[in-house]
Amino acid sequence: MKAIAYIILLIYAILSLTPFIWAFLVSTAPVSYGGKSVDIMQWPPQISLFRIPPLVFGAPATLKNYALVFHEVPYARWFLNTLIYAGLTTLGHLVLDSFGGYAFARLNFPGKNLIFTFLLSLMMIPVYVTIIPVYNLMVKYNLVNTYWGLFLPKLTGVFGLFFMRQFFYSLPKEMEESAMIDGAGVLTRFFRIALPMSKPALIALSIYIFLGSWNDFLWPLIITSDKSMFTLTMGLNFFRTTYYTFWQLMMAATIMMTLPMVIIFLVFQRYFVETGITSGLKG
Amino acid sequence: MKRRAREAIAGYAFSLPILVSVAVFTVIPIVQAFYYSFTDYDALKQQIFNATVDKVMAVGMYLGLLPEEVKVDQALKSFDPASFVESMIGTSISKKLKRILRKYFDSKKLLQDYASGRLSGESKIGNFIREYLKNGGRYFEKYRPDIIGLKNFKWMIKDEYFWIALKNSFIFALVVTPIQTFLALILAVAANSRVRGVSFFKTSFFIPAITSSAAISMIFMLLYSKPGFINRTLSLFGIQPVDWLNNPSTALPAVMAMNIWTTAGYFMVTFLAGLQNIPQSIIEAAIIDGADGWTRFWKITLPLLKPQITFVVTMGVIGTLQVFDQIYFLIKSQENTTMSMYIYQNAFRYGKMGYASALALIFFLIILSITLIQRKFMERGLEAM
Repeated sequence: MKAIAYIILLIYAILSLTPFIWAFLVSTAPVSYGGKSVDIMQWPPQISLFRIPPLVFGAPATLKNYALVFHEVPYARWFLNTLIYAGLTTLGHLVLDSFGGYAFARLNFPGKNLIFTFLLSLMMIPVYVTIIPVYNLMVKYNLVNTYWGLFLPKLTGVFGLFFMRQFFYSLPKEMEESAMIDGAGVLTRFFRIALPMSKPALIALSIYIFLGSWNDFLWPLIITSDKSMFTLTMGLNFFRTTYYTFWQLMMAATIMMTLPMVIIFLVFQRYFVETGITSGLKG
Repeated sequence: MKRRAREAIAGYAFSLPILVSVAVFTVIPIVQAFYYSFTDYDALKQQIFNATVDKVMAVGMYLGLLPEEVKVDQALKSFDPASFVESMIGTSISKKLKRILRKYFDSKKLLQDYASGRLSGESKIGNFIREYLKNGGRYFEKYRPDIIGLKNFKWMIKDEYFWIALKNSFIFALVVTPIQTFLALILAVAANSRVRGVSFFKTSFFIPAITSSAAISMIFMLLYSKPGFINRTLSLFGIQPVDWLNNPSTALPAVMAMNIWTTAGYFMVTFLAGLQNIPQSIIEAAIIDGADGWTRFWKITLPLLKPQITFVVTMGVIGTLQVFDQIYFLIKSQENTTMSMYIYQNAFRYGKMGYASALALIFFLIILSITLIQRKFMERGLEAM
């Protein structure tokens, strides 16, 4: 039994990683070698990794393509745009969702349950319903091709609110109650007691939102048309033209935009699984 | 102030920011989209009244006469203000606008001004029209879509590509969801059988899920190309090379396979968490009762995974029905388009925002009913286990 399990897991691990390994190998092939352009489609691929420098597609491997990407397209700018977009969206959600989540979990106000049920029902609405009016709103206020236009409409999701509410709800009430008897106001209870205890949830939510916006394509596609406002996902289109695809550069760009997410995942892995935040990661 | 009142105020204040953002970017847009779906909203016409024209040139071009050649009374007989405006903005206008123009446009004054040379300068088309309009000028201030009732929905029934897109979305969901769920389950069971290196496997399975769909599409564009890695590997088994993405009959299956690849490992983590929650004592009791591995899986493991299966299938259906990025990058033929892509194309490529909103509305209703039916169906199916 165990042997079968190992075989299944190993085969799927190979299947999962091979595309990335292949993409990396292609990204290390020089564009041209010995006066001829390097054909990354050649077969057999003439790869031998056990020499210095390793041989890929019949040419010595190099990391030059990674530098070349910055030279050929405004990659640094796109990187910055993506960082700003994902960063602001994350920050906004942290504030909105933790305040809102606390209100719906801990504070009593008339209409609370009704509002919350209504908000939950919005989760079913596909983005395609609202995206046209939201785009028109952005056009009206001249926010197309701006950071505001990129991140503001992204602050509307209900998922984060729901997640934070559940988390606050699950926290033991006693500390807040005794603080209340000691005369602590709502703000004190929220900032001094509830928030410090929700560090894991806040980290998980940040990763979830950051990852989602880093990888987002649909909204940047609609709201940016100016090359200087592109995000990394938008920029990928630049490496293919009608006649020619710059595979080496494209793969270098692809690897570079994926690496930060892999690192974040590896560092914060336990928050992914423990908090169950992963629900609905991939659209 | 009473404590309860203070708490209520704090509650409203705390939830206000998220409520405002939900109202502005979700609730109001839903209402607007609903309204749009009954109109002929055309984004390409949005700027028609803002374009600038040379007044003399516009009239001259329409009449085909120089100012000194115009005899006002004679020209007036054949002058149609509606077709004049259409010629000026270069596109058709609605019946309502035509009616207003024919009723209130002072053609005589315009022709007199033209003939006498009083007409001069440049102006925005909207302002130019309103100058000569005795009534109803507000309709020419900015573009207003016309309410056309159910026409968008009637058009949809006749629209061949709507049906193609809908069919493809269904196929995508129907093929991908069961396979990815099944695969995720197998991987989870394998990883739960006390093997070593579970965290390595989990990590490698998870990497496709945390990589952006755009990046994955690029990698697979490389792998799927005719002289590419996948064809070369398949040729080891004697399979002829296929132009996966350029051939309309293989493009969608190729994207589906890729989609399964990105999600199976990620749903596996959900199942694994569920499996690890199953108390060991139940399994041991079953072993003592003589249940073999197969029976244990069907009678114990699967029923206890009910919540995870429901979750994975629901998320899978919603996710696959709405897949966009991968279609955008890898699908070339309109024959292979899906609903999300077709809505995007109509709204942002053809500018048909009214029609696109109608499509989105129908799409939402379809997703909603599928989710509800599926919930009912799955509850029954899982109870039977």
